[in-house]
Amino acid sequence: MHEQATIRDLVATVLHVAEENDAKRVVRIKVKLGALSHFTPEHFEEHWVDAAAGTIAEGCKIEAELSEDLTDANAQGVVLEDIEIALD
Amino acid sequence: MTDETRTIKTDYLARVEGEGGMLIRLKGNEIEEVKLNIFEPPRFFEAFLRGRYFTEAPDITARICGICPVAYQTAAINSMESICGVTVEPQIKALRRLLYCGEWIESHALHIYMLHAPDFLGYPSAIEIAKDAPEVVETALRLKKIGNHIMTVVGGREIHPINVKVGGFYKAPSKAELEAMVPDLEWALETSLETVKWANTLDFPDFEMDYEFAALDAAGVYPIEGGERFVSNRGLDIPIDEFYEHVVEEHVKHANALQGHLKERGSFLVGPLARYALWYDLLSDEARGAAEGVGLPKVVKNPFKSILVRSVELVEACVEALRLIREYEQPAESSIEVKPKAGAACGASEAPRGTLCHRYEIDDEGIILDATITPPTAQNQPQIEADLRGFVGQFMDLSNEELTLRCEQAIRNYDPCISCATHFLTLEIERG
Repeated sequence: MHEQATIRDLVATVLHVAEENDAKRVVRIKVKLGALSHFTPEHFEEHWVDAAAGTIAEGCKIEAELSEDLTDANAQGVVLEDIEIALD
Repeated sequence: MTDETRTIKTDYLARVEGEGGMLIRLKGNEIEEVKLNIFEPPRFFEAFLRGRYFTEAPDITARICGICPVAYQTAAINSMESICGVTVEPQIKALRRLLYCGEWIESHALHIYMLHAPDFLGYPSAIEIAKDAPEVVETALRLKKIGNHIMTVVGGREIHPINVKVGGFYKAPSKAELEAMVPDLEWALETSLETVKWANTLDFPDFEMDYEFAALDAAGVYPIEGGERFVSNRGLDIPIDEFYEHVVEEHVKHANALQGHLKERGSFLVGPLARYALWYDLLSDEARGAAEGVGLPKVVKNPFKSILVRSVELVEACVEALRLIREYEQPAESSIEVKPKAGAACGASEAPRGTLCHRYEIDDEGIILDATITPPTAQNQPQIEADLRGFVGQFMDLSNEELTLRCEQAIRNYDPCISCATHFLTLEIERG
């Protein structure tokens, strides 16, 4: 039930990193969805598309991997592993 | 254009940013717009209830909140018993009030000390208070535990109690079980009297609003576990069954939570300030004495002083719990049989943060056909925006950071369901 808030934070972070690196647009993001994050890759993408609309991250490719490790320290969260940006 | 791209390693753990946002649009010294956006996604409880058996409503709705499950259970039970035309024995009513006192104690202690006090004391959260003043947090936790223990003894467990049912309780506690709580409750009473004095030492912004206060009328007692009428200081006086003829809920574009307002006049306020203003004379001698002791007037219009009024209600809940235990006689039967009857009715109770109204329609087999739940935060949301509008107008010279902190504090005055997120507010200020 906290998906929207999590995604908002993630979009804000992606845009912040992109801006710091003078990106023209975000090409791809790679995220690891914790086993207890309540996200599936499809569910994540649905929220992402909605939250990123109208930003330079709109339409970027999403690589979302769902972890099955319940004991991982980040099992309840979503880790943004890397971002690919276009500079021109 | 080239295809130059770069991959940046981040390994950033996304966190829950918060479920509230606020937009303030200023033009010179004029406020053009104030919007409080609660974007906690809808939870569809009213839809879950349709098709379920009427006796399931208390257990299903309890899951709406881990802090005030008894409020939801009780409102559902009041509604179902009204539809089915049954009245429970006085001892069962007394047990419900005692259970509810437990919830008021745990919820008020949590809000006063752990959620609201950090704002006044300049700490980000109670964890930081614990480093400098561990006794404050220990007091809060012990008070909360005493409230939770009442919920365990009467309700079967402290969160989402399982011992309550339409018609009474599955099992009534013995007098000895209740009396075993008296020493702790006597400590809680003394501590809540001290809490009122302590809360009075806090620094309150000089700010007042002219509220329409609304609360249940419980026919001669301070409203807690129910009331047949819903009344206000501006002439509203209606049977609870007419709640939805006067209170309308609107879905505004900027928030997921529905906003309630009075058809006749617009925003109104429910909760401790309203109960206190309307029913001051029904408070116990101890609670009134505590209020008088710190010079608290009979009507408090400064919303920041809600922490003081909440402390007075903490005293009231302890006094009531002790009285109910003293007068308790274990009933011969812990519940009465309730047969379903087709019909519809509203039922309400006074959740720690304000009036909570449920309305159900069931068929003659006891199947729920329709359900509507209006929590206090939904009723208060337009008033929160009105407070913020007034407050920002008075304090617009503050820096954005300071204004954000003050606005969070102003929102927490209402103990809204979103207040447990310490920094829940994303403030956007447009200065034109």
